[in-house]
Amino acid sequence: MDVLASQTPAALGVKGLTKRYGDGTLALHDLDLEVPAGSFFGLLGPNGAGKTTLIGAICNLVRPTAGEISVFGHEGSSMHARRMIGIAEQEPNLDKFLTVFETLLYHGGYYGMAKGEASERAEQMIDAFDLRAKRDVEAPKLSGGMRRRLLLARALLHRPNLVILDEPTAGVDLELRHELWSYIRKLHEQGTTILLTTHYLEEAEALCDEIALISGGRIVARDTATGLKDSHGVGTLEEVYLKTVSSGRIALAEEAART
Amino acid sequence: MTALPPTQVEPHPWRGLAWLSRRECHRVLKLWKQTILAPVIAALLFMVVFGLSLGNSISEINGFKYQVYIVPGLIAMAMAQAAYSNNSSTIFQARNDRYLDDILSAPMSAWQMHIGYLAGGGLRSLMIGVLLTALALPITGAPLEHPLELLAAVLLLSTAFGALGIIVGVYAQSWDNQSFINNIVILPLIFLGGVFYSVSRLGTPWEQISHFNPLFYVVDATRYGFLGASDVNPVISLSIVAVITIGLVSWSQYLFSTGHRLKP
Repeated sequence: MDVLASQTPAALGVKGLTKRYGDGTLALHDLDLEVPAGSFFGLLGPNGAGKTTLIGAICNLVRPTAGEISVFGHEGSSMHARRMIGIAEQEPNLDKFLTVFETLLYHGGYYGMAKGEASERAEQMIDAFDLRAKRDVEAPKLSGGMRRRLLLARALLHRPNLVILDEPTAGVDLELRHELWSYIRKLHEQGTTILLTTHYLEEAEALCDEIALISGGRIVARDTATGLKDSHGVGTLEEVYLKTVSSGRIALAEEAART
Repeated sequence: MTALPPTQVEPHPWRGLAWLSRRECHRVLKLWKQTILAPVIAALLFMVVFGLSLGNSISEINGFKYQVYIVPGLIAMAMAQAAYSNNSSTIFQARNDRYLDDILSAPMSAWQMHIGYLAGGGLRSLMIGVLLTALALPITGAPLEHPLELLAAVLLLSTAFGALGIIVGVYAQSWDNQSFINNIVILPLIFLGGVFYSVSRLGTPWEQISHFNPLFYVVDATRYGFLGASDVNPVISLSIVAVITIGLVSWSQYLFSTGHRLKP
């Protein structure tokens, strides 16, 4: 069933999404979110706020307890929706038996690309992410920076329309960070929707059209960076973050106490 | 860096299945010394030590020399263990290192993922079976009486133990869990299922008790395929192995369909 279907469907529609883990932890609580097609959308929040759970639910990696997800009008778990998403997860999760080239080639295959197309695209991505010298090296033998490049190359290999980046620059040196952002900016300019989570507030402010703050499993604020600062009567995004995040934590604690 | 534009592409889940199967077979072949060579040598050692060395001091069983009689059971045991250990380790490793996420998020249905993972264990098991058959028959002089029944038996046992490997790989909390199941459950049940003897020689009540061991039917069906002789009717053996296979495959399919223990 499609949710939030309209003439121009949102890149991502999330309605009433709730996730309670087996140990009783409420990670997402009736969360609503709409990410417009073509936007560069930032999702900010502290550790444990629900960012990774939300991304997992969108990418078929977490089983939601309740709620609906749509991707460009397609039901979230459908083949079409999954084909349209590319994800670079927070932790480098690369297949240890595959080389750089094979990692990209097999990923293309899993996402339905024909061998020739996947192979050609893999070579393109190897060049685009400066991985040529490591083409035939297995993932465990790569440096941290190279793994990050490969993760991003893999996420983009099948030409997704919605790219989800879960803290892609965590632990990355300044030079590579700027390289990655430069590439992602170009992708966005060409029409790809980007959903980014990061702890670097200044980067979110510089890159994102819109920012949502998540805390206690809920979206507690959403606007442009300027709009967020104006509506909270503060001068920096950091101040907005600190104010909204604490209110979300209090709400979650109250919810946990009730249930 | 040079930016590349995104484009609309249709999902092709069959290609996903083909590539996942290929990945699993790639892993088996890449680690061939561990996945193929070692089990073949181990089974051949059993044949040499128990069959050729001790065989002359053991009387014939059901009209077959001892070194011939044990060949089918040893091949079945090697194939079963290969299918099990391959799939349990590949799934556990993919879960543990989280690269399973690349599969779970891909546009493939649950049964396509399931078959893709079964493929690696199936390939490994069948390669070991073919190699051992090619080596053991000339060495021991064992016959190949019913190739079609044998094919049915080994396909069923490879699928059943491959599915069991997936189940254990999904539930396992550590590497120890997998070897525990292999060493404490599978290996003893296969040994007690008549790899080295005919259960009809055990006498009451051990013969009857052996018939409650599901692995007995796996060994017996394989033995019928090679030797044309078995302790129970081969139709009954194959039917029981088929029921076991359906049960295990249904269980492992349930895990992929629901995401139970694969996805939080």
